[in-house]
Amino acid sequence: MISLVRAESLKLRSTRTAIGMGIAAALVTVVPAVLLIAFLPKGTIGGDEARSILIAGSSLVTYIVLVFGILGMTGEYRHGTITYTYLAAPRRGRVMVVKLVVYALVGCLAMLLALLLANLIGAIGLPIRGVSYPTPDGAALADYARQIVTAGLITAFGVALGALFRAQVVTVAGTLIWALMVEPLIVAFKPHIGTWLPFNVFSQVISLRIGDTGATTDGLSRPEAFLVSIGYIAAVSVLAVFISMRRDVT
Amino acid sequence: MAVIEAEHLSKRFGKKVLAVDDVSFSIQPGTITGFLGPNGAGKTTTLRMIVDLVRPTGGSVRVLGGRYRDLARPTTRVGALLDASGFHPGRSGANALRVVAASAGISYDRVDAALEMVELEGAARRAVKGYSTGMKQRLALAAALLGDPEVLLLDEPANGLDPEGIRWLRTFLRARAAEGRTVLVSSHVLAEVEQTVDDILIISKARLLAQGPISELTRTAQPVVRVRSPQAEKLEGLLIARGAAVNRLHDALAIRGPGSAEVGEVALAGGVVLHELLTEQPSLEDLFLQIAGTRREP
Repeated sequence: MISLVRAESLKLRSTRTAIGMGIAAALVTVVPAVLLIAFLPKGTIGGDEARSILIAGSSLVTYIVLVFGILGMTGEYRHGTITYTYLAAPRRGRVMVVKLVVYALVGCLAMLLALLLANLIGAIGLPIRGVSYPTPDGAALADYARQIVTAGLITAFGVALGALFRAQVVTVAGTLIWALMVEPLIVAFKPHIGTWLPFNVFSQVISLRIGDTGATTDGLSRPEAFLVSIGYIAAVSVLAVFISMRRDVT
Repeated sequence: MAVIEAEHLSKRFGKKVLAVDDVSFSIQPGTITGFLGPNGAGKTTTLRMIVDLVRPTGGSVRVLGGRYRDLARPTTRVGALLDASGFHPGRSGANALRVVAASAGISYDRVDAALEMVELEGAARRAVKGYSTGMKQRLALAAALLGDPEVLLLDEPANGLDPEGIRWLRTFLRARAAEGRTVLVSSHVLAEVEQTVDDILIISKARLLAQGPISELTRTAQPVVRVRSPQAEKLEGLLIARGAAVNRLHDALAIRGPGSAEVGEVALAGGVVLHELLTEQPSLEDLFLQIAGTRREP
């Protein structure tokens, strides 16, 4: 297992994909935050509200880590490296489990860095606009923790989807179309179904619309959403491991 | 004990494609065995079944006494060159091998040794996308050698190599066999492996047609009569009418069946001028054509 973790770590460090994803994650965090601070009329909002808006930008990171997870798995098939991966480690279940865990950790790390960056920008930029930047309290830290954990789960979800579908472009495009177009339409027209769809469930876990009661306005409670999201990821991951174990590598 | 033993091995892809059909063979230790057959005969599928990349739909295959997946650190026992393009184009050659080494629990020190063995140390830091086909082939060979394995499975290793590279490969394989390693090398270019292998397996249309030491198979094969004639086409017709198997290229005929005396008599009776008439022991290609041709007939 340790050798497989080393291999996954080296795979991540030895191509530009991770760097590209890191830059993209930094951009979607920094650009909205800087624009907000630049165009924020003085004294219009409070520090807590400003921080929430800053952090909302970093939620885009979840889509980036989702794509990162898909690329991490589909890249093995696209470039044929899966042959060497399975020759070295023919117990495919272990390979898949390690990949899921490593990518989940990378997803967590990416979100952690995005949140640190957003907070740093807020701490430096907001006082310039006359808004005091409050130290994150327990509730804010809980929000951050949820975002970090969910980013990790979504990255693993991407890996599992990649293992199921293999075709890189189709999987990335299909997943984004589903997440950004199909699901929102279902949520709009059939909310009782949409509430239970995966990306809506993920967003309910991290949604800033979640109030103090722990429930969204018309959806699942936070614990329910978290459990359902775990269920989705577990189901897709188990299916991915099962199929990977039986699939011919030709 | 056989190093590789396949028993009634079969693989069907979907309902229509029977890639390997009831193939049984055994590979003895310390030999170089050529796995020969035309493209699409089932060689690659068989090799991939040996290392558990493809699941057989029938039969079984054992390597070093068990299933590949049950071997402890399998790449230190069996090295496989199956896909020369199986490297991330953005990775350097050295990093591509380090990834394989890390997955297999092999020390990174072996990476330099393997690169040196295939004479790629000068290109180790370059991205794989800048490699020529021959360099990728050598890199894949280095990946197979990383674990210093006792068994090597090589699928069309000469693909993309220039004549110098093919000669280098031949010497390389001989050196591995001299170290007591076992090599199973597939090829569709029969002349390429003729000077290298000890034993051969011949596969065509998913079926194994022959196996054994190359010297024995060629010795028991029918000799080939070679003829050059300005009336080669006429002579070809006469010989085919008498049941001979004839291959013609311009004015030259390769004839299997009748002996040289009979061919000479047929030519005389038909008024065909001969410029050359000689009997040869069959080449590997002749042997393959004989075996494949025999099996094609009902």
